[in-house]
Amino acid sequence: MPRLLRRILFNLFAWGVVLLVAFPLFWMIITSVKPQSELFRIPPTVWPETVTFEHYWRLIDETPFLVYMRNSLVLSFSTTFLVVVVATLGAHSLVRFRYPGRERIAQLVLFTYLLPSVVLILPLYLLMVWIGVANTIFSLVIAYTTFALPYALWLLRSFMQGIPDDLESAALVDGATRMEAFVDVILPQALPGIISTTIFTFILSWNEYLYALVLVNTDLARPLTTGVMTMLLGAFNIEWSLLMAAAVMMCVPLIILFAFLQSYLTRGFGAGGVKG
Amino acid sequence: MGGIVFSRVRKAFGSFVAVKDLDLEIGAGEFVSLLGPSGCGKTTTLRMLAGLEFPTAGTIAIGGRVVNDVAPGKRNVAMVFQSYALYPHMTVGENIAYPLRKQGVARAEREARVRAVAETLQLGALLDRRPKQLSGGQQQRVALGRALVREPAAFLLDEPLSNLDAKLRAHMRAELIELHRRVGKTFVYVTHDQLEAMTMSDRIAVMHEGVLQQFAPPRVIYDQPANLTVAGFIGSPAMNVMDAELVAAAGGAVAANGLLRAPLAAPGGGAGGARTIRLGVRPEDVLLGAGPLSGRIRVVEPTGHETIVAFEAAGASFVARAAADFSGAPGETVPFDLRSARLHVFDGATGGRLELSGAGPISAA
Repeated sequence: MPRLLRRILFNLFAWGVVLLVAFPLFWMIITSVKPQSELFRIPPTVWPETVTFEHYWRLIDETPFLVYMRNSLVLSFSTTFLVVVVATLGAHSLVRFRYPGRERIAQLVLFTYLLPSVVLILPLYLLMVWIGVANTIFSLVIAYTTFALPYALWLLRSFMQGIPDDLESAALVDGATRMEAFVDVILPQALPGIISTTIFTFILSWNEYLYALVLVNTDLARPLTTGVMTMLLGAFNIEWSLLMAAAVMMCVPLIILFAFLQSYLTRGFGAGGVKG
Repeated sequence: MGGIVFSRVRKAFGSFVAVKDLDLEIGAGEFVSLLGPSGCGKTTTLRMLAGLEFPTAGTIAIGGRVVNDVAPGKRNVAMVFQSYALYPHMTVGENIAYPLRKQGVARAEREARVRAVAETLQLGALLDRRPKQLSGGQQQRVALGRALVREPAAFLLDEPLSNLDAKLRAHMRAELIELHRRVGKTFVYVTHDQLEAMTMSDRIAVMHEGVLQQFAPPRVIYDQPANLTVAGFIGSPAMNVMDAELVAAAGGAVAANGLLRAPLAAPGGGAGGARTIRLGVRPEDVLLGAGPLSGRIRVVEPTGHETIVAFEAAGASFVARAAADFSGAPGETVPFDLRSARLHVFDGATGGRLELSGAGPISAA
């Protein structure tokens, strides 16, 4: 097959995949700016005849959307911060320090990750009630940490295993304390791993639905996932245009996070100062 | 300042003992190599000295101060790692400045000292580069620079040349010798390369399986190895060793086996009664071409400036250093002799050196 033809076919295939993935997103955005009257027209209009932002205004003006948004932001940032800090220090300990049961701890952590999260909902709910934090954002932060942390620990552990011991030893001999060596030498090396973990944890807490549904029953603490659901899905009626507008706005923080962290993610890779 | 003393130092990892009751006194300003095969405990010893491992028992003193409980950074030692361990995210200048930054040296002085060290190591033009943009030799220099800039009491070097190619290694060896002479500080140098140890050191500590075998100047290590382990490790090709019986005789003793009879004298007194010994002779002390003994050539390896000849005699294997124009071929029979004054005698059971020396010509059995 001539090279040109092969290239064209490959490109067609690649674009086909892109379209397949992008179409629902495209439809979501288009639907969110169509007037109500145009939504269910047959045949459907690909480009809206009139563009309107009324759904966005209604969402912000008439619904508790902004409260949910704030809850989700607080929830996701707190969870991410907590998980990344604990996982970074924990992974460092699992990799660098020698103590009895170190490998056992690492395996146990993996084991908890294998447990289906549904199993833990009820015990966690009872626990939250018992310690008096039920129905708060804080209870969700704790709950999300229980399943984000094991994965984060393993991810960061494998990253930290790739950082040569000698770098930390060199920093210690050069006069750094253990903490200084960690901050000056280990952290910059682990940065790509930390950023991957950050993105992973953030997406996980941003999109989580089940725990949020069970653990929180008040609008004051409800995140976007369950909030949008209860607000727009009535028993007889789904407000599609509002739902689409809400979905578009839910994507925005993730897109910003990605755009901001992506450059860091690639920058850290391939920096090696130790000759093997 | 800068003298180092290990007293009964022991290091165990679980049930594995890496260093066994090490006693070692390194003088201030001395260049000492810790030499041995991998796993002999030499790197563990160096890491204990640096404070990166804690001794299980015993004490380590630097400059008269016991440092067992002193943090690595407060021991006033600098270390060069086998991997160089340059901080990848810092420039060359920042790497060299790092120990000074941790000491709290003011910025202006820091920059001046980094610049001075960079000039001595010809790194002046590279200060803004990252480690990965440098060649192996340049990275090596940066690692040395980071050690030098602190002006420490002692330099600890862990196989610093093993990642360099042969030519650069020879060059850096010479530079290290010069550097040691110039700074006049204590150098403790870990290597498995006997050539490095022999050429650079004032004294060599040969280690094997966690035990210090011998601590002496290179010449003594080579000429009077303390035991079979040292004798076998130092010298390339290795020393030829054969079993023999020691039989008492007038004026000393005679070593005899199926190949030869060698009269021995005991300078320190009696040679003792009959017993099993091991008789060693270096390849350069095996003289091919004439003599009372004869062997069959197996392999001839011309290296250019000499020829290494492997041959068999009375069931034992020998290696000899012959002249470059040696003309024997595999399968041929060759007469040979041993320099009797250069025979090494070791106890057959313990492998320890016996104070016996060859006395008079060797004859065939």
